[in-house]
Amino acid sequence: MPGWCEPEMIEDEVLKWKFKLGSREALSRIYEKYVNNLLSLAVGLLNDPHEAEDVVQDVFVSFAKRAGSLRLKGSLKAYLAKSIVNGARERLRRGRAAQRRMSRYAAVPANPGEIDQPLVYSERCERLSRALAKLPYEQREAVLLKVKQDMTLKQIARLQGVSVSTAHGRYRYGLEKLRALLDSEI
Amino acid sequence: MTMKDNDRIKDVVRKNLDVRASDRTYNRMRRIVLDAHEQSKQKLSATRLTIARRAIMKSPIVKLAVAAVIIAVLGIGIVEFLGTGGTSGVVWAEVAQKVETSRGVICRGRDVVMDSRDGEPDYNYTMNYLSNTKSRYDSYKGDQIIKTFYDDYNTKTVVFIDHGHKSYIKKTFEEMEQNDIWWRDPKSLVQRFLSHEHRELGQKTIEGVLCEGIETTDPAFDETNSNFTVDSLKARLWVSVETGYPVLLEFEVTRTLGDNEKVHIKAVMDQFQWDVELDESIFEPNIPADYMRIPMP
Repeated sequence: MPGWCEPEMIEDEVLKWKFKLGSREALSRIYEKYVNNLLSLAVGLLNDPHEAEDVVQDVFVSFAKRAGSLRLKGSLKAYLAKSIVNGARERLRRGRAAQRRMSRYAAVPANPGEIDQPLVYSERCERLSRALAKLPYEQREAVLLKVKQDMTLKQIARLQGVSVSTAHGRYRYGLEKLRALLDSEI
Repeated sequence: MTMKDNDRIKDVVRKNLDVRASDRTYNRMRRIVLDAHEQSKQKLSATRLTIARRAIMKSPIVKLAVAAVIIAVLGIGIVEFLGTGGTSGVVWAEVAQKVETSRGVICRGRDVVMDSRDGEPDYNYTMNYLSNTKSRYDSYKGDQIIKTFYDDYNTKTVVFIDHGHKSYIKKTFEEMEQNDIWWRDPKSLVQRFLSHEHRELGQKTIEGVLCEGIETTDPAFDETNSNFTVDSLKARLWVSVETGYPVLLEFEVTRTLGDNEKVHIKAVMDQFQWDVELDESIFEPNIPADYMRIPMP
């Protein structure tokens, strides 16, 4: 069955449509639906909560401003994920993320009520993010887009400007290395 | 690595990479995003003006005024780029006049290339039907209609039918915030060419028809709203020497959006039928009974 027949995809199609016609309500729902998913992706790519928060905010602000000119034809989720990837690449190019890694960030509580931190995640998440940061960036991107965003290898290959077999290789080597890194910490 | 190892690591990534915005961050960011949207909507008034301008151009009185101006320009010969001199077989001001007074137009529109993160168009081509007061655009994928737009300039309403999702939207022009609407209207496109700086391309045979062309690289040709700037543009209009009607429109632009994303669009409009009598019934929105109306907030 084609992907767009799934209820989530149908909701996204309606949201895209209403958003393009200027609906604030649709934008609000898109934000509500994807903000945490995109924060998770951005943290996984950058290993820096501050930078991740900035990237996600920039992506949503840019998206909000494009209601009248958006020509989005494909999946909304994939579009937003690609925007995060572009934002993360830009941050890494500028080298800002390298200056301030997650490990140097204040300890983050799992319970959002405890301390007023901008982002909330567990120690396991922090450990995983550190391990992901040790992967070559292209492999990290391939693993996160495939596993966390459910993108196809073809979509990843296109986003990375490589062949499908190269994208597949990056994904496979990334997973292997990630397993070795996580297992070595146990 | 075994399949089991593979699945275990994927499971770890899926479950453990779980970051949430605190309530305060969530609300602050949401407010910033919605404010940006609101400000952007206000800036889009230029787009509404484009739509309003096209609606105004449908008025018979305005058409007469436009025709009078064109005749005056021809008579005085004050605009050299209209190309009435030399060996040209096409008088461009007359093209504008013919197009403007054409009763109905049918043509095909295609986005040939579109490099952007927005993805590829979900349609292969669009068939456009325009009368003096109404228009209709059918988007096809293969031989199947997937979307239909109806514009009515008398009632200033738009109906958009999404056949894939069996749903539709009805809006007024004032509520529309859609740019690129000019691209769907070949009449306004010819006027656009003639109102921007352009050069003559000479003659060329297109599908057996001897044509003359003009080309503009003026970025203002595409600057329809404040959401993007035009880096480079090339638009070409080819007109039949024999009939004086457009045969082919070619359009290629690179835009930079607000977030520095580059979008490259290459499109053509062809298969023109000019001055045809279009039956009113084709402009009546045909909405199947089982289609759901999507309410707009």
